[in-house]
Order: sequence, then structure tokens, then C-alpha cells
Amino acid sequence: MTLLALYFLATLDGAFCGFRAFAGRSALIHKRKYYRRAMLRGAISAQVVSFLSLGVLLVAVALSSQRSELRGDLEAAAGRMLWIFLPYAAAVLFPLSLRALPSTDIRAATSVMVLGPLTGLRPFVMIAGVFYGVWSSQLLETKLLGIFILGAMLSLETWLNRVAAQQQQRDLASASC
Amino acid sequence: MGRDRRAVLGYPSSADAGRRLSASPWLRYARFVLAAWNPSQPEISDLIIQHDPATLERLPVRKNDVRSIFANLGNRKAIRVIDALPERDGFLDPAEIDRLFVVVHSEMQRLAEEFYHGGRVWELLQAVIAAIRATGVVANFDRLRVVDIGCGIGYTVRWLAARTPLAAQGVDLVGMDLNSVLIREATRLARAENLPCRFVHGDAFSPANSGHIYLSTGVLHHFRGNDLANFFCRHELHETQAFLYYDFQPSFLAGPGSWFFHVIRMRTALARHDGVLSAVRVHSAKTLVDAARAASPGFASGIYGRKIWRTPLPRVFHTLVGIRRPLIPEFRRALGHRVGRLDELA
Repeated sequence: MTLLALYFLATLDGAFCGFRAFAGRSALIHKRKYYRRAMLRGAISAQVVSFLSLGVLLVAVALSSQRSELRGDLEAAAGRMLWIFLPYAAAVLFPLSLRALPSTDIRAATSVMVLGPLTGLRPFVMIAGVFYGVWSSQLLETKLLGIFILGAMLSLETWLNRVAAQQQQRDLASASC
Repeated sequence: MGRDRRAVLGYPSSADAGRRLSASPWLRYARFVLAAWNPSQPEISDLIIQHDPATLERLPVRKNDVRSIFANLGNRKAIRVIDALPERDGFLDPAEIDRLFVVVHSEMQRLAEEFYHGGRVWELLQAVIAAIRATGVVANFDRLRVVDIGCGIGYTVRWLAARTPLAAQGVDLVGMDLNSVLIREATRLARAENLPCRFVHGDAFSPANSGHIYLSTGVLHHFRGNDLANFFCRHELHETQAFLYYDFQPSFLAGPGSWFFHVIRMRTALARHDGVLSAVRVHSAKTLVDAARAASPGFASGIYGRKIWRTPLPRVFHTLVGIRRPLIPEFRRALGHRVGRLDELA
């Protein structure tokens, strides 16, 4: 259940990374489809990271001489991570829900005062969450796995930005033809 | 003696402390950033594309000329941006600069989207149009023309064309800019979505292009000194009924808020530099209102939307409203409960 919650949060984070990477690169007005695709790309990229992490985790468990201890240690670390990640997710999702209100000021304020700063905090929250999770873990494998997942999730947005930039260059080139 | 004693005791001298302070990366970064916030300097984008004012023909720009302006101001951040701009034989490469402008304006559109700028414009524009319709001051209402001055890639006009019934009512939505590349891109984008609006490379106040209602976003702060008065003078055209000019509102939050927002959201160094500088260069409400009232006496002018609701929090954008006096009662009526956001029109 704990791992499932982390997987769900990683997928959500990937979708938002996809949105941010593609935002500001298309100047059309009707962009629902464009953003849907961007978020889907982000979510799919998060699946790649998640399944890669799962693969590494399974290999680590298979090779470990203390399988049951490792499984317990990993679950405990994941549970501690949720103490950081769940409040952060709630802090992002609540202002997004406020955008349903028909007020320009409230909608804009969610961007300027909440979502912008939270985007800036994202890498620090990820580092804090993973380190809080693995800090008191018993086994080295848990710590290494945590750091591997952290690196993979942090590089996700950079990679998506690169993909989005390449697409933008292609779009610009075809528009100027 | 004091210095020697402090040095012997292991304390830093004031000179040492000064050196250490200036060597501190935080202080160096603060100086680096603050030099870019000096409101007396121009924006880089104001300088790297130049047009002949009469023919609107593109003029070559020498890179070193632009660089030296910011070197004299000690703005190393701007110098870095300029150094990275592509050049050919000492002149900025026009094709690459055009490409950069389109990218920067796409990023700026994201900012407009996040601030729901289309909705902000529509909120006031529909009240002005309702007042014009009710008073019958425009003989052929179905040929009413709304002109966006300095439209860039035309976000506001395209948003109005896509999301409001204006075009269906026969209102002519026109975006104008002195930059032909941005006009070309605006036209391309409008065609891509089949939007009923048009974009013109030219002077918005010329007889062929003049409008009944003028709009602009983030343009007023580009006019400094007498240029601001000259700009307002040009509104005294027979057919012009109103103007709605949106710009950042100066406040203690504008500089740091804009800096943070641009660091988080913008990718190009040019957008980050000029975006923040825009926010610190903006005119105060008093400067705008005084200039408009003095230079456009045919209009009653005032500010709309200074505060968020009735709190002391400043709105990011405020609007300079100018309107012909016979339209004021209907305009106020059309604003409905939002009329409380409107300052005195005089």
C-alpha cells in the first residue's frame, strides 16, 4: 500500500513535470489537447522511472541475504517518505482545486503565491523526503535505492524539458518554412 | 595601530571584512541581480531590434553599441545576455534575433495565461462596448474596431477572438505592432486556429488603422519622459471612444516577486532579464493618470483594479482607463458590482 501510494505520487509528479516542460512553448489559444499530451508524456516517463526503480528493487531483494529484513526496511523508509510527500502533494492539489472558482484574482493568486513557490521547492522537497525516508533505515541497500530513485525523479523534468525544447525547435523551423 | 592589533588578535580588519563581504557569493549575486533592477536603464529587447520610425524598415544593430550601454550601467547580467546573442560581422544576426523574440513572446504568453489576462481584458472591454452600444456614439456599431497596441504575438486579440462573442457581433479585432516578425507569427497562430482577428504591421494611430477602443498590455512602461505624453496626445482622434492600458502595478512586491516568478517560469535569459526590469520600470498610477489627463483631455481617465477585493494587497496588474465623458454613466452601470474597483474618472 505504501509503495502504491509512492507510485501514484510519482505518476502525478511526472504529469506535472510534463505540463511544466511544455508550458510556454506553444502560443496557440486552444491548448487542452497539447497539455493533455504533455501531461501524458510526463506520466509515461514517470512509469519508466517507476518500473526501472522496481526492477532495481527486485534485483536488490533477490541478491540480498536478508530478504525479509530488506523488504521491511524498504516499506518503513517508504512510509517515512510519505510524511513529506503527502503534505506537499496536498499543498499543490488544494490550490489547483481553487482554480475552479470563477475569480480571476483567486486563480492568478494560486499561480503566483502557491504553485510558483511550490515548483521552486520541488527539488528540495524530494531531497528532504528521500533523506528523511532512508536516514534511519537499517540496510545500505535501502539507502542506495532511495538515492537512485531520487536521482531518477530529479532528472525527469530535465529530460522532459529537453524533449519539449526539441519539439519547439522543430515547430519553429516548420513554421518559418 | 588598531588594524595591526586586530590582525594580531586574529580579527579581520574592516578592509579585510569588506573584501570578505565582496567575496561572499551571496553578496556578489545580490549585486549582480540588483544592477539588473535599475529602473533607469532600457530593456535589452528595446535595443536589439530597431526600426526606422518613418518607414518601419528594420535597421542593423551593432552588438557592441548595445553592450556598451549596459557596461556603463554596470549591469553584468545584461552583458551576459547580450554576449550570448548571435552576431554576424559585429551586427546582431536578424534572423536569430527574430527567432529568439518568438520564443520569448511564447514564454511571455504563458505568463499572460497564468494571470488570466484575457479574462481581465474582457471584464473591462465588455463594459466599454456595452456603454458604446447603449449610447449609440458609434454610428456603425457592427464596424467597431478594437486595436491592441504593441500586441506582440497577439495573445489578447486571439484570446478575445477565440473566447468571446465579439467577432460574431462584427467587432473588428486588430493587433498592431512595429515588429514585423511578431505580426507574422501572430497571423500564423490566428490562421492555425481559424480565429476571426487580424494583425497589422504599422502605426496604430494612423488614419487607416485607428481604433474606437485601444488596448495594450505591458506597453506603457516603454514610454519614458515626454514619450508618454506624446503617446497620450495621439488618442485625440474623432472616432476613438476609450482606451484600456494594462501594466504591472508598482509595489514593494513587484521587483522580488517578478524576479522569483521569472526564475521559476522563464527559460530564456532575455525574458528573465527584461521581465524583471519591466516590473521595476513601471509607472506609478499617479504618473499614468497625470499624463493621460494632461495629454488626452478629451477623455476622463482613472485607474481600475488597484487592490485585490477590499484588502490592502496590490493586484499584479492595474489598468489605466480612459473614456469619453458621455459614456461614463453607462460604463459604470455595465461594470455592475465591479464598479468599486474603479477610481475616480476625471
